[in-house]
Amino acid sequence: MDARLRRVNKEITDCKNDKASNVQIELIDNSPFHLKGTFQGPEDTPYEGGCFDVDIVIPEAYPFQPVKMKFITKVYHPNVSSASGAICLDILKDAWSPVLTLKSTLISLQSLLCSPEPNDPQDAEVAKHYMTSKQSFNDTARYWTHIYAGGPEVSGAVKGSKVTQDDAEQDEIAMAGLEKAHVDQFESLGFPRSKVIEVLRRLNYRGANVAKINEDRVVEELLK
Amino acid sequence: MSSDYEYSDDDGDYYDEDELMDQDDQVANHSADSAPSEEEMDIDAFDLPTKGKQKSYHIESTTLSKHDLERAMDENIEYIAGIFGIEPEVASILLRHFEWNKEKLTEKYVDNPTGINAEAGVSAKPNPPRSTTSGSSRSTRRTTPASSRSKKSLSVEGPFVCPICFDDTQTRTLALACSHKFCTECWTAYATNKIRSEGEFKTTCMAEECTLVATDSFIQSVLATDLPTFDRFKELLARHFVSCNRKLKFCPYPECAQTVSCPAAASKFALTTIIPIVNCGDEKHKFCFACPIEDDHRPLICSVSKLWTQKCRDDSETANWIKSNTKECSKCQSTIEKDGGCNHMTCKKCKYEFCWVCMGPWSEHGTAWYSCNRFDEKESVEARDAQSKSRASLERYLHYYNRWANHEQSAKLSMDLYAKTEKKMEEMQLTSALTWIEVQFMKKAVDEVFRCRMTLKWTYAMAYYLQKGNEKELFEDNQRDLEKAVEDLSELLEQPIDTETIGALRQKVTDKTVYVQKRNEIVLEDSAQGYLEGRWKWNTPVEGFD
Ligand SMILES: [Zn+2]
Ligand SMILES: [Zn+2]
Ligand SMILES: [Zn+2]
Ligand SMILES: [Zn+2]
Repeated sequence: MDARLRRVNKEITDCKNDKASNVQIELIDNSPFHLKGTFQGPEDTPYEGGCFDVDIVIPEAYPFQPVKMKFITKVYHPNVSSASGAICLDILKDAWSPVLTLKSTLISLQSLLCSPEPNDPQDAEVAKHYMTSKQSFNDTARYWTHIYAGGPEVSGAVKGSKVTQDDAEQDEIAMAGLEKAHVDQFESLGFPRSKVIEVLRRLNYRGANVAKINEDRVVEELLK
Repeated sequence: MSSDYEYSDDDGDYYDEDELMDQDDQVANHSADSAPSEEEMDIDAFDLPTKGKQKSYHIESTTLSKHDLERAMDENIEYIAGIFGIEPEVASILLRHFEWNKEKLTEKYVDNPTGINAEAGVSAKPNPPRSTTSGSSRSTRRTTPASSRSKKSLSVEGPFVCPICFDDTQTRTLALACSHKFCTECWTAYATNKIRSEGEFKTTCMAEECTLVATDSFIQSVLATDLPTFDRFKELLARHFVSCNRKLKFCPYPECAQTVSCPAAASKFALTTIIPIVNCGDEKHKFCFACPIEDDHRPLICSVSKLWTQKCRDDSETANWIKSNTKECSKCQSTIEKDGGCNHMTCKKCKYEFCWVCMGPWSEHGTAWYSCNRFDEKESVEARDAQSKSRASLERYLHYYNRWANHEQSAKLSMDLYAKTEKKMEEMQLTSALTWIEVQFMKKAVDEVFRCRMTLKWTYAMAYYLQKGNEKELFEDNQRDLEKAVEDLSELLEQPIDTETIGALRQKVTDKTVYVQKRNEIVLEDSAQGYLEGRWKWNTPVEGFD
């Protein structure tokens, strides 16, 4: 039997048989080379309670080439693209070793959620948010976990913005990790709300940064 | 005669062109990013004593065959192995780690052999790798504290299960000095992937976070049944060696396995005074040692040539318009297509004779050819004083570009012409008394025309950037003399050949070829001297000039 197929089959079976494991691997279609991995968000992180799906593609030269993984579930994290789910993690690139497995790689992803590396970001805007205000970042990440990963409802306060009870309705402001007061302030100048959110997010109008960014600068950006 | 055949036996035939080109790119990138500084590498064996009476424009270089190159690598390896009393294979890994910089390696190794051995992957790092099954092995990004675990982890009792392929029927296993055991098949697949897919010669142990590097003999043993891949491995090593050495460059011609050593071009500073056009021993494999421009871009130095090619790329739209192969006869407006290298055009319809370059009547060119090579800036500006400045500068550029592109096109067309003529020459050899040697004058003439058109082409790029003044005028005088001679010779080459006149034609062509060669030499020699004397001043900032 083809060594790659034997190895992948064995990995899938081992993972199924390991009841203690909190990592699951299943087939997406009939091919064992395109899989879906799932794990729980780690405890004591804003991802706690969420369930995260990962798209897994086994390359031709596996395990001598790294497996390709990206998040299916949207994640608010400096090393994960908030748009595409692409992941910046060294073992998926140069630091890959053929002894690593799908399971160990998924566990590495899980622990990536515990310890972001904002200095090697995949999503620069999210990384900036993380660097500026850990608290505000955590709120947003928790909110995303709730909306996208089925995490618990955000208790009480994403600061300054009221979270509606309806799960289906997403609060744009909370999604962007901004404060309602700030958005209202510029919206009242006559700019459309979505544009205001877009600009404030890009300028990282959060936490201590707010004091550093001149309001004229925001207006200037809004006028562009 | 001989140089064509000398190296053909060890050509690397097994890889295709694309692969090789990719490699070239990589090598080029590599040397641009981390080019070793001038004094870092010193391969004395290639330094030639400068010969006394060479032309200034001739840059000394030597050719190394594949075997010469391997010998040069071995000499370095033996030197290091000798002074430290280590195995040549170990010395080789150390040298690669230090980009073949013997001095730096020696200095560091004396200080801290243990540390260097670990860093280069010669011996295992002090803290052993964590077991791969331990859950939270997130990444190597985090430097784990040295957990002093013993090395027993993989010495299994019972049947061996390869941790890569999970096959428990494999009986043949291999491990590096770190004792991380894997089945032979996995080692082979791993090394093959490294070498073939990643173009990487450094193969580390497969265990996670184990940085031990496989020795060449280990690689050889796992690739024992795949010689082409092992040869590719050696090729990668050689390319790395060359890319680490400023004095060396691979011949860029795809089918060629030669390396050129050109110590004179090893420093960046030298490139403000010389143009290192070299060849690998095969006259046809001519290239610039210092830059990626394929042409022989003499008499213009590398940095200004780059400015020019960049400008041409930027202005490619105008260039395309100019480049077109057809023009209208300025008398009868019928379309005329250029079909030979000669610029003396005759309209098929109205018989009007004109110069392809300036479109002026040819009759004036016999005496006043200068009007075609020299852009009269003053007149042009005055005549169009209503026009904007940018228009004037575009026209100035087009003046030079037009002539630049024209020589390139003519050079190509003259090769086409030669193909036609060659056929005729073959026939003549059969029907006339001329021998094979005697009909070679045609080839010599066409080759010379080609060479000179390359020079002329770049003289226009050079003139574009030369500051106005006496020096530029003298330069353009030489340019004009060469251009006139080349056009005359080109015209001779387009004349019909027949048995009665061939003797006379042969004499004429041969004389003219000698003359053209001389004119070309004057242009090249004078411009080369000019660089050495600091005579050339540019009208734009150029690195290394003030
Ligand atoms: Zn194996
Ligand atoms: Zn090892
Ligand atoms: Zn060559
Ligand atoms: Zn050059």
